[in-house]
Amino acid sequence: MSRTHIISIIAFIGLVAALFALNPRNSQKVQAGVLNVLTPFFKAGSSVTTFRDGLKTLEQLEKQNTELLTQNKELKAISQTLRDLEAENQKLRAALEYRQRAAFKLVPARIVTRDSATWWNTVTIDKGTADGVDIDMPAMTDEGLVGKVTTVGEHIAVVVLIADENCKVAANVVGTREQGIVKGDRITSNTMPQLGMGFLSRDAKLTRGQQVVTSGVGGVYPAGIPIGVVDRFEARPLEGFAVVLPAVNLSELQDVFVVVGRK
Amino acid sequence: MPAVIFFFFLVGAVLLSMIGQHFIPPFPAPWFTGARVLLMPVFLFYGALAMPFSGMLGLAFIAGFFWDALTLPVVPSLLPGGEPLFEIPLGWSIILYAVLGSIMNGMRPWFRRGRWEIHCLLSGVFTALIVVAEYLMIALKRIEESGFLFPGIVWQRALGSGLAAMLLAPLVFFLLNTVGRLIGFEPHPERETLRR
Repeated sequence: MSRTHIISIIAFIGLVAALFALNPRNSQKVQAGVLNVLTPFFKAGSSVTTFRDGLKTLEQLEKQNTELLTQNKELKAISQTLRDLEAENQKLRAALEYRQRAAFKLVPARIVTRDSATWWNTVTIDKGTADGVDIDMPAMTDEGLVGKVTTVGEHIAVVVLIADENCKVAANVVGTREQGIVKGDRITSNTMPQLGMGFLSRDAKLTRGQQVVTSGVGGVYPAGIPIGVVDRFEARPLEGFAVVLPAVNLSELQDVFVVVGRK
Repeated sequence: MPAVIFFFFLVGAVLLSMIGQHFIPPFPAPWFTGARVLLMPVFLFYGALAMPFSGMLGLAFIAGFFWDALTLPVVPSLLPGGEPLFEIPLGWSIILYAVLGSIMNGMRPWFRRGRWEIHCLLSGVFTALIVVAEYLMIALKRIEESGFLFPGIVWQRALGSGLAAMLLAPLVFFLLNTVGRLIGFEPHPERETLRR
């Protein structure tokens, strides 16, 4: 074996050992640093795919414009009603001496890429610390919970999706006292992810279609964000278990909101 | 000198292919149930064949480091502000790529004589092995929580990724050979030996 080979092996082993010796916080910083360096490439790639997906005929654009204008008018009307209801709710809460409930402060973000790893469910978004996004912040859409920020760079962040087995969310079933933990299923297809809700009571009377929402326990996810609906319930030897279909279509996600605080 | 320039070119190609594969969607169902097209290993394994052993180690380190940095997820803490947890340590892919790259590098004599089949076949096999190895790492880490699960979908995804790599390999081989020769680096200096 030549001297060059020996030196390269020693250097290789040394560098790998140094990486293994990093603690999790420093490993996270390394990931954030790499994300920062590669951000321009990811954003450039994302612009190309966005341009390609956005190519439409004039007729299609006109039709889309009309639909959006109508939707906008409907939403404005609903928004005004909701504002009135919110004001009334706050007055009643104050009268009953309940704590005032503040609305979420949201930062909109676009999905830049989906993780190309086979066994993990994460996406990369185009907002980072410069936009107020930080680690452990929930991500959601108007339909429900999407996941949680795990790594963040200056202008980019990684969100682990609720379809990932590692993303665990404290949840309850609306209309019941049942509380449990929702997490992704490792072995279902990425295109049709299913969630599992464990730690339920064995005699829970759950039926198909019941809504599952975040319970707010632990303070990570705000309470009341829709996660999905119950598909079926099984009584296992030690616990009850429900299969939950996600509220958000995770395979066609394009935009999310990151909850950065309360107003 | 051309070998050094080609090495740096390969580093760039590996990194760009790693970024590019993020934008390739998974196989649509029911074809190989969500398998990913992994472009980066094809470029890496070409480099493992074209470069001497030390060059292969360098490529494996860079590829493994960036792959882990981009894809290894942090297990979210259950409480806000809690300590992050890496299920699999940063750097494990470097070892995996170095081992597979070393095996590839052992086939270098055939590559130097112009045998393209080595790169094509082994890229597919080794890419499939990477997918299986990643799954095994996760399965063993989560064995306490959910037992050892090894469903058939693992083989489907490994096969899908491996086949995609095998199909792309000749294209990558031709492309990198062409660039190598433009730089002045001859990837198959012993091709004439084979012809004789």
